[in-house]
Amino acid sequence: MRYAILLMGAPYSHQASHSALRFARALVARGHCLEAVFFYHDGVHNASRLAAPPQDEPHLVDAWADLSREHGVSLQVCIAAALRRGLLDEREAARHGKEGNSVAAPFELTGLGQLIDLGTRCDRLVTFGP
Amino acid sequence: MLLHVVNRSPANSRVFEQALTAMGPDDVLLLIEDGVQGALPQLVRYYAQIEGRLFALREDLGARGLLGRCAESVQVVDVDGFVTLTEEAERTVSWY
Repeated sequence: MRYAILLMGAPYSHQASHSALRFARALVARGHCLEAVFFYHDGVHNASRLAAPPQDEPHLVDAWADLSREHGVSLQVCIAAALRRGLLDEREAARHGKEGNSVAAPFELTGLGQLIDLGTRCDRLVTFGP
Repeated sequence: MLLHVVNRSPANSRVFEQALTAMGPDDVLLLIEDGVQGALPQLVRYYAQIEGRLFALREDLGARGLLGRCAESVQVVDVDGFVTLTEEAERTVSWY
């Protein structure tokens, strides 16, 4: 089956990110196709490339990136939710005159329309809230 | 059949009431994260009306030291069981 995950909880504040990651790994292990993870509301903080948690703790940002590389999962970040929280990729940083950027591939800034598209295109959409 | 997922304990949140109100006669409910507290004998009464259709996530019970402490009416599933429930359900609705 084709799955998508909607993640709305901030990493390290709520269990949502860990729950979503565990569910995502179980999905691909069972042979399902996980098309995308859509990061929305405080969930966009999962895309911060500057995250540097202690080495003996799970690194959520890297874990999402690994999942994307190993299983072709698209990591889509709501651009409106991201910009207002200081999460900008290179292009948006330039556009807003900011030094540096905090979002990099495989995460990509996209619009809410992509979430609607996932909802209609995938067989299942599972939400993890804060 | 819809799968409802609740991540709040009935001791701290009344969102379970909204989930129960929204549930159809064939729907099932899975407790995850702090929601697994609702599977304990002293709290499971809140879910009395869906007896036999209540599940709790094994990993989240274990993380809280609650494995083996669930009410007998609750079906414990691991994350693979969670996936299976989403396969079987037409849609999944999360309450938080």
